[in-house]
Amino acid sequence: MSSSDAEEALCQIRDQVARLQHRYATPERLKALLDQTVGFDRALWQAAVEQGQPAIAVPEHAGGMGMGWPGLAALMEEVGKAVVSLPLIATPVVAEALLASDDEAPAARYLAPLVSGELIACVAFAEPGQTSPLQRPELACSGDTLNGSKAAAAFAAVADLALVHADADGASQLMLVPLDQPGVTRRTQPGLDNARAHAALQFRDAKAYPLLRGDAAIGKIMARVALATAFEQIGGASACLACARGYALERKAFGQPIGRFQAIKHKLVDMYWRIEIARGCALDALDALEGGNPLWPALAAAARLAAIEAYDFAARENIQTHGAMGVTWEAMPHHYYRRARCLALELGSTQAWREYLLAEAGFDAAAA
Amino acid sequence: MDFSLDPADEAFRDEVRQFLREKLPADIAERSRRGYHPLLADVQAWTRIVYDHGWPGPNWPAEWGGCGWTHLRQFIFEEECALAGAPQLDVASFRMFGPLIMTFGSDALKNRYRDPILRGETCWGQGFSEPNAGSDLGALTTRAVREGDEYVINGRKIWTTNAHVANVLCVLARTNPESRRGFSMIIVDPKAPGVTIRPIIDIGEGHSLNETIFEDVRTPVDNLIGEEGQGWHYAKSLLDNERASSAEIPANKFNLMKLRQMAQRKRGDGTRLIDDPGFAARLARLEIDLQALEFLTLRALTEKAGGTRLPVGSLLKVRGSELFQKTGEMQLEALGDYVSYAYPPPEQSPHGIAAWPPGPAFAPGVVADFMYRRATTIYGGANEVQRQIIARSFLEL
Amino acid sequence: MSSASALLEPRTAVPAEDALERYRLDARAWLAEHAPRFSGAVRRGLPLERDVALGRAWQALKAAHGYGAITLPKRYGGGGGTELQKIVFTEEELRYDLPVAYFSISLSNPVPIFLRHAPETFRQRLGPPAIRGEHIWCQLFSEPAAGSDLAALRLRAERQGDGWVLNGQKLWTSWAQIAQWGVIVTRTDPDVPKHAGLTYFFLDMRSPGISVRPIRRLVGHPDLNEVYFDNVYVPDEQRLGEVGGGFRVAIETLMIERYGITDETASSPALEALVELARRARLNGRPALADGEVRAAIARAYVERQGLRSIQKRAMEAIAAGREPGPEGAIRKLLLGRMRQQLGALALDLMGADGIRLDPQGESSRDFAHAWLDPSVRIAGGTDEVLLNTLAERVLGLPQDHRPDKGVPFRQLES
Ligand SMILES: Cc1cc2nc3c(=O)[nH]c(=O)nc-3n(C[C@H](O)[C@H](O)[C@H](O)COP(=O)(O)OP(=O)(O)OC[C@H]3O[C@@H](n4cnc5c(N)ncnc54)[C@H](O)[C@@H]3O)c2cc1C
Ligand SMILES: Cc1cc2nc3c(=O)[nH]c(=O)nc-3n(C[C@H](O)[C@H](O)[C@H](O)COP(=O)(O)OP(=O)(O)OC[C@H]3O[C@@H](n4cnc5c(N)ncnc54)[C@H](O)[C@@H]3O)c2cc1C
Repeated sequence: MSSSDAEEALCQIRDQVARLQHRYATPERLKALLDQTVGFDRALWQAAVEQGQPAIAVPEHAGGMGMGWPGLAALMEEVGKAVVSLPLIATPVVAEALLASDDEAPAARYLAPLVSGELIACVAFAEPGQTSPLQRPELACSGDTLNGSKAAAAFAAVADLALVHADADGASQLMLVPLDQPGVTRRTQPGLDNARAHAALQFRDAKAYPLLRGDAAIGKIMARVALATAFEQIGGASACLACARGYALERKAFGQPIGRFQAIKHKLVDMYWRIEIARGCALDALDALEGGNPLWPALAAAARLAAIEAYDFAARENIQTHGAMGVTWEAMPHHYYRRARCLALELGSTQAWREYLLAEAGFDAAAA
Repeated sequence: MDFSLDPADEAFRDEVRQFLREKLPADIAERSRRGYHPLLADVQAWTRIVYDHGWPGPNWPAEWGGCGWTHLRQFIFEEECALAGAPQLDVASFRMFGPLIMTFGSDALKNRYRDPILRGETCWGQGFSEPNAGSDLGALTTRAVREGDEYVINGRKIWTTNAHVANVLCVLARTNPESRRGFSMIIVDPKAPGVTIRPIIDIGEGHSLNETIFEDVRTPVDNLIGEEGQGWHYAKSLLDNERASSAEIPANKFNLMKLRQMAQRKRGDGTRLIDDPGFAARLARLEIDLQALEFLTLRALTEKAGGTRLPVGSLLKVRGSELFQKTGEMQLEALGDYVSYAYPPPEQSPHGIAAWPPGPAFAPGVVADFMYRRATTIYGGANEVQRQIIARSFLEL
Repeated sequence: MSSASALLEPRTAVPAEDALERYRLDARAWLAEHAPRFSGAVRRGLPLERDVALGRAWQALKAAHGYGAITLPKRYGGGGGTELQKIVFTEEELRYDLPVAYFSISLSNPVPIFLRHAPETFRQRLGPPAIRGEHIWCQLFSEPAAGSDLAALRLRAERQGDGWVLNGQKLWTSWAQIAQWGVIVTRTDPDVPKHAGLTYFFLDMRSPGISVRPIRRLVGHPDLNEVYFDNVYVPDEQRLGEVGGGFRVAIETLMIERYGITDETASSPALEALVELARRARLNGRPALADGEVRAAIARAYVERQGLRSIQKRAMEAIAAGREPGPEGAIRKLLLGRMRQQLGALALDLMGADGIRLDPQGESSRDFAHAWLDPSVRIAGGTDEVLLNTLAERVLGLPQDHRPDKGVPFRQLES
């Protein structure tokens, strides 16, 4: 694809997704999702599948649309803006792992139904009580059998397949687990953001397919998930800025729009620069990933840190800008506030990614 | 300044501790240990226990029928109560409307409300804010027109905390349309015909906020607090009291203590958060902030006695609410992945307080607070506006 | 080269652009050949006049090779090149510690605006010596009562015959003491609202009636001055723009350097130097680099720098493609200024008691104490607060602050 064709394709994605969300991401639907323990909008997912969204980043030779990570990034930014929740990141990540694996059996069985959207995948790395999913897992794997547990992961409540990492004799091993089997128990709990369809997973002699092996490979898988998520976060943060701006222009106090007070003006610029820094980091990481720059994981970690900060800040200050209106159930700001925190927690905390960044950027290595 | 206690105050502290050990109901203490806000009924029951113990109005002067304790003793009492998990005495009754009536109200009003307040029987709704008058309270449009010996009130109030459970409403209304600040403060019975109270559900899906609508509501002129047209002046003094209380020293102290305990807990991987120097440094900063805030509060209390006109409340509110938020944010961090659970308040949980969802005991309240906490920099006057007030009054800008 | 430092190399190179890459390599080679004679040890301990002389020689050499003022027209001695070439050259030049500061304002704002608006005879006469570094130009805008609010300036210019007589004071004029020429904004009509009564001139700094007095700064920088005007005559042909149109020309002057790069550290030591320091310093018996708070600060600085690099890179790509770069470039100065101060303070903390020492020969780009001590990046060229306002209004479309001075004749505001 030439670069202008690619641009146009990305625009099309944005348009399509925006139209879809106009129909589905209504305040009523979004609020209803929060009221269920497992909030998942099947109708929206079906519509997304019809548009081929799960296939966007999957290579053409594997049956996908071949728009790569830039395609996924554009998609996730729109998803983030509308605060909808769709399991779109796991599919291309699992596809990538399947394609890279020596064992062809799982690819033959799962690739096509994943790409078509018939099956839903989730990524479950974090473990209960652990501070960082980037450290060695405790979930034990022996051959193709798993024993242990994973902490609440997004979409695990509705997924057919989970990508997990496990400890195989002291080395990290990436495994693909079909969730619909007797050895797997899902536990759901109401949470901060029920629209994420979280579930904790427990494995008792569960059968799984071993895919890749080694800490480095698994770190890179996580970095990919983090990068795609960063775009979702940037989308969410931009929506907060737009929402706060709209309110600041419309709400009056002391005979003028509150957007005329510097306390509000400067607050909004503080959102703006955080978002632009995050976008800068994320775009650079994307370029590096596409261009095969070996430092892309460090850049992805930087993007994640910047995106967490931008979204947390924007979501919080959007509420503040709305005054008491901001703390009502009826108004939209709390959806972003919940989502910002969940996206920050799901893949491991700021601290964990800060360590990953410093290691990948070589600051620690040079200390030796 | 010397902050060590003399033996008499030390003895007083011991007395309070013993009282708490003997009289604080276990379920109330347990609820606060979990980090939940006290229920209104608990606050009222606890106020009655304190009263029956012979301590009516621990933070009231003797001439109002209160204990007449020194500021220091009041402080000791509140601190011990908070650390033991006892609810704070109702701020609206003891710190806002009670003092307002005892200072400016007629004898009839004083007699009507004094004892019920001391016994913990009043619940006040503060009818100030309106849809188009929040930070800019002066823009309010609710009218009270005098007809014979009644006021007829029309208007729409919003964000009225507890209006749905209140037995007294206090309405700030315009009685003189000619004058810019021609407001009066008038007491209204929430059951009076023409009062409509509609719930507003908050971001944590709780109900404490309301929209309160007044349509030709009649209230006797005896219910006017102080003088007609002086409402703005009263509201300012009341709001300053509200803000001073929102420094929430006792609650902040309790929160910080809990945070320290949480951080000292061994996690799944055997490490403790407190051993992370970055976290420890931030925790230390909060402790210092708390110390500073505590001294500022004590100083404010003493100066208030000397009659300062500076809005100390704004200063305390800004610092206190931000400390509250920062502590809460660090508590979330300390919770790790339990944060992603939601914990319904025990009264809504089918299992009651006995069967808690997963996670450490303190998890539920911390998570519940995640949503509620945002409101602290908004209510009682948004912090941006408090900063303007501070700049204007203290710095003379 | 370790992997870290490879990553940390400026990455503004535009791929595909072979010509630009060739330009960079040529510039790099040229600098390697000539710059050492004008930089580093050669400059240590030089008194101001000798360093300025060295700077003039360097500027002349650059001009002879088309690097003197890369984007200005060839007919006045400029390079006739593109914005991107200038940025590339400056990036390369920044690797050396050259005596270029004396020309940084001169060739960035006053000379370009002069070449846009002055009569041709003046341009031919004064353009080439300015670009060769024989003349330095200063910018006489700020006054005691007019900094952020430039339009509040008071320095009067009154008609006299074929020209104008100037009386008043300018303040914070960089390099006025070594400048031959200057551009100035004056008040010509106090009876109209303040923006409308200004007129813009260029003038000879040796005109009778001008006196320049140095201002001592926090650290040894000898750049700032106050400049007094006592019946200074300026011919009308030295006016730039309309009578009463001075404010527009002033804004145009300030906008010329919109995409100009300040180096990515705002003349403070690089993040790598801080990491090195943290590696050596000990805290609780361990390298300070192991401390969570230090690590958090380093990660934050890394992330911000990374974001700014990417923004810069995209701006360059846009310029190369003939598009207008996005408005996000404007956050650069805001973030760099704060970061310089924060990292400076952290570095001093890590030095412990040594942190209180100040090397009189030190320089902000190599010495954290100097970088921390001088916060002028956050003030000069628009303060942080004014930048926040500008971003809020121009980029986010929020309303202007309440402006009690709007539409009021200047004379009424003066009291
Ligand atoms: C939980 C809760 C309980 C409450 N309980 C009560 C109650 O019981 N009774 C009652 O009467 N009210 C109550 N309030 C209302 C509260 O007093 C108002 O929310 C508050 O005064 C702010 O007004 P607003 O919500 O209309 O915000 P707005 O005034 O619309 O402010 C919106 C934003 O603009 C900013 N802003 C406004 N003016 C300025 C300025 N001049 N300079 C800089 N920034 C400015 C604010 O800081 C805020 O960020 C409650 C509010 C909350 C959140
Ligand atoms: C190193 C250096 C070199 C300089 N060189 C030159 C030069 O060569 N020529 C020249 O003409 N000038 C020069 N200046 C002056 C520079 O342009 C001014 O310092 C700058 O515009 C700020 O003006 P001020 O110093 O008068 O501060 P003020 O305008 O008085 O500002 C004081 C404070 O008020 C704040 N403030 C002002 N207005 C607002 C607002 N609307 N909203 C919120 N906050 C506001 C500012 O942010 C600042 O914190 C130089 C300055 C420095 C530090």
